[in-house]
Amino acid sequence: MNLGSRPDSVAPPGKVHVDAADADSREHGHRDRGRLRLGPRAGGLGMYGRMAVRDFSRNRSVTAALVVLMMLSVMLGTASAGTLVRLIGASSDLMTRADAPHVAQLHAGEFDQQAVDRWVAGRSEVLHHQTMLMLGIDGANLLFDGEPQTASIQQNSLVVPNTQRDLLLDLDNRPITEVAPGSIVLPVYHQVESSLEVGDTVRITAADGFAIDLTISGFARDSIMNPAIASSKRLAVAASDLEEVRAHTGEVEHLVEFWLHDPATQTAGFTRAYQDAGLPQAGPMVDSRTFRLLTMIGDGMVAAVVILVSMLLLLVGLLCLRFSFLTAVEQDYREIGVLKAIGVAPRDIRHIYLTKYALLAGMASLVGLLAGLAVIPLLTRNITRYMGTASGLANWIVPGLAAALIFVALVLFMLVLLRRFNRISAVTALRAGATSQPRAARLRLHRSRLPVQLRLGTMDVVGRWPVYLLLFFVFAVSTFIMIVPVNSATTATDPAFINYMGVGTVDVRLDLRHDDASSQEQFERAVAQLRSEPDVAAISPMVTTRHDTLDREGIPASLYIENGDHRLLPLTYADGRAPTDSSEIAMSLLALHQSGRTVGDSVPITVGGQVNDLTIVGSYQDITHGGSTAKSVLPTDGEEIMWYVIGVQLAPGTDATATAQALGRDLAPARVAAIEQWQAQTLGPIADQITIAAGVSALVAIALAVLMTALFARMLLARDAGPIAIQRAIGADDTGLRQQYLTRILLVLLLGVTVGTLAANTLGERLFNLMFEAMFGGFDMLFQGTSRIDFAINPLLAYLLLPVVLLGAVTAAIVASSRSISTASISSLTTE
Amino acid sequence: MTTATAVLDARGLTKSFDGHPVLQGLDLQVREGEFIAVMGPSGSGKSTLLYNISGMDTMTGGNVHFAGQDLGSLNQKQLARLRLTTMGFIFQHVYLLKNLCLLDNIVLPAYLAGLAPRHELNQRALALMERAGVAGLADRDVTQASGGQLQRIGICRALINRPQILFGDEPTGALDSTAASEIMDILGELNAEGTTIMLVTHDPKVAAHTSRVIFLVDGRIVGDRQQDPYTGTGLDQRQHDLTAWLLQHGF
Repeated sequence: MNLGSRPDSVAPPGKVHVDAADADSREHGHRDRGRLRLGPRAGGLGMYGRMAVRDFSRNRSVTAALVVLMMLSVMLGTASAGTLVRLIGASSDLMTRADAPHVAQLHAGEFDQQAVDRWVAGRSEVLHHQTMLMLGIDGANLLFDGEPQTASIQQNSLVVPNTQRDLLLDLDNRPITEVAPGSIVLPVYHQVESSLEVGDTVRITAADGFAIDLTISGFARDSIMNPAIASSKRLAVAASDLEEVRAHTGEVEHLVEFWLHDPATQTAGFTRAYQDAGLPQAGPMVDSRTFRLLTMIGDGMVAAVVILVSMLLLLVGLLCLRFSFLTAVEQDYREIGVLKAIGVAPRDIRHIYLTKYALLAGMASLVGLLAGLAVIPLLTRNITRYMGTASGLANWIVPGLAAALIFVALVLFMLVLLRRFNRISAVTALRAGATSQPRAARLRLHRSRLPVQLRLGTMDVVGRWPVYLLLFFVFAVSTFIMIVPVNSATTATDPAFINYMGVGTVDVRLDLRHDDASSQEQFERAVAQLRSEPDVAAISPMVTTRHDTLDREGIPASLYIENGDHRLLPLTYADGRAPTDSSEIAMSLLALHQSGRTVGDSVPITVGGQVNDLTIVGSYQDITHGGSTAKSVLPTDGEEIMWYVIGVQLAPGTDATATAQALGRDLAPARVAAIEQWQAQTLGPIADQITIAAGVSALVAIALAVLMTALFARMLLARDAGPIAIQRAIGADDTGLRQQYLTRILLVLLLGVTVGTLAANTLGERLFNLMFEAMFGGFDMLFQGTSRIDFAINPLLAYLLLPVVLLGAVTAAIVASSRSISTASISSLTTE
Repeated sequence: MTTATAVLDARGLTKSFDGHPVLQGLDLQVREGEFIAVMGPSGSGKSTLLYNISGMDTMTGGNVHFAGQDLGSLNQKQLARLRLTTMGFIFQHVYLLKNLCLLDNIVLPAYLAGLAPRHELNQRALALMERAGVAGLADRDVTQASGGQLQRIGICRALINRPQILFGDEPTGALDSTAASEIMDILGELNAEGTTIMLVTHDPKVAAHTSRVIFLVDGRIVGDRQQDPYTGTGLDQRQHDLTAWLLQHGF
């Protein structure tokens, strides 16, 4: 029989031409491309290989898309694993080389070293302890290349570098133990943010007219104060220079550092014991877990985004694998029947397909691995800059393992798919010729008022929805990976985000640390001056005090409580309301979780030496001070005051930055910053990284959608060769047919984008919050609801621009791929 | 019949596939009201002829005039419109769209043409179904009807736009003899009412129902036989005479 193939297409001599396709298979849109030609050397691996190669060339576009997807997935998987392992490696390496302390207490004001020494003598868990003197320089007195640092929220302090432990490291991660007089070593942060170079000048001035110029002799990595989010920075100078400056300006602080025998088990008990011992603690206390977390946040988030994208891609890759496999099986269904009928074992048939897909997966994994290794340096640029590179075999083994894992997952998935062959019987395969019959739609054309092609497109999607499931999933995933990072970026840079930093809607924020009695005076002076300023509309002065409380296990713990009138310039509460008197308290979500209580419960707080049960009236999101804070209206006299914050609302039309600068000069040593500036400086670097990740994932999403649409449209057109030919025979024109295909895919796109957007704003928001939970509470806090940040969605971007870009790209892909629609004609279906 | 005007006029029609000639300079006139059977051995070019004179396939050489229009001068969109509004097609395997119910399959070309309001077209389709003896199957799926019923649906679909000519490519080829005979009766009635019909067939019994038989060998017309219109009696004799004629021409 010559079934539609041209009269001269005859099986070459010496080959067995297994051609079971007949007119009936034509009706199902089968083309003569689907035949198996077994050569004379049929049998053995050679044959499988040849069949695989023949299959590749038969389905070139499907094969190419499949390879690209698998490759991208392996590439991103490899890159994210590589980034993570380098991040962890570099951060550990930095901590180890620098011999970072396990616990550090910053103290401003009078310092009694002997008291500390005496207390330590009785603590067996302490391995070493040391105290570092830090000379805080006001931003107005510190000039980088002539530029005063008034706008910087970083607290810059001069130090003489340690020589034994808690070392500053140079850019080759070698310890800096000495700085020559007249020179200064700045943290990497300033190198990056202020674009400074070796040889540039740092000038320190004082109110008395003193000025000293120091030449930058290098840059240092600081194991405990490296990233932007750690708001203190250590600037290393020679001892003689420090003394000279100290004689004229600066505020002396002490950094008391401890090394424990077993930090994993001893840190918690040790820190509480220190706090209870009445030792110097006018300043924050942090432990090595916090250092590590602060160090890893930004890059960890980028790696997390890449991991997420790579996993979604893998999922799409698996679905695509399934789709391509089913299409191939459908094309070869009758041939499989023939092979079974002539007695070929199912195992051998499976072997043919396994060879093909394993070959593809192997190729894709190899190329993906190499591409991933090439991408790692790009993703780890920031890590390298701030932490250096930790050399090690793991840097290469882990990405390799990731690629191998994905490869194994792909092969296992294929084996599962191949079990389908056992269910194909020779007789049904020969008789039916196709695995799936199109389902009859419940929708009726003759009951519709829609334009014909639009209706036909809709009916096809409804009637054959499983076919469109893959595409729907691709569109939903693309939307998700496009919108979530973009929403994360807009949220982190949104002015309303300030709400989550424990501050209400203010324009300017004043921060003052409590050092001694003079601090209180400075605070009161600031309040008085702000009240008299004509540009100031409202202020909310707050005094934060430390109190003892009990955690969920009943173990004593410390809680920082911010006291003042919280009804002024209020923040948004997650639950409940602001406390109004000293019997009420509002707690941050993390503090609430740590206390094991909920809003409405009461919590024991020691006030004035007595334990009071305060009613929890509200909860709020706070990502400052480690995320664990509280608000009340307690009397602060006689309490241990930690710091002061004044939220300032300016009169409309006032320039916040200029006002903040002017106030900063008047109210020194209080640090005053316009809230946007403050936000940009604390969250800016993280937001920048998220923005980059957002851009990359948007590109990946669009590429994925376009690639899959092109592939799918081609496959759909090939599958629908029969129906297309029929419609053309009865008079449908190409424009109409294209409209029908456009309708189908756009309908799926619309559904996919809708579901993707919904998922992005719910599930995506949840993911974003998980990130913050882990960031501030550690992995223990995951899924505990301690972060409840609402996405600040830019509707124009998230609901219009991004979907429109996706829509445009997908439409272009459909139009381009629907060109091949012209080839299907009824005569190719018909027998002579 | 000879006085009737030609609806279709093909001159020097050639068609090759990959350099292999299938139709070789073929001349053919189809007059209004004719009922023609195109016969010939496998590979003689019967179906190719049908698809080329209907504009469904592109000819390699020659020209075809249909209803006064030169098919060679029309673009794909114009050809599609011409097929939609003036020609009807019935195929051996019917080729219905499986995701549509039977009524939808019939109304689809009418909706595409858009020549009348949809409710009118629905009524017309139901009337055709009634006439073809498949009333009551309107809402059924393609898988819920027999081969003979499906072919009747195919005929209804071909007639929905009131075509000037009805083409059939082995319309009874996949049917048993009873169903085939019923289909030919329907076509005979349509022709008696004035519809021009041109069928490709290899079955002398089918051809015996027609009034003109064209015999094709290697892409050339080697025989063109006029016979009296079939009136419902003497089919065996007509078949016998036709077979003898066919044998003379190398059938």
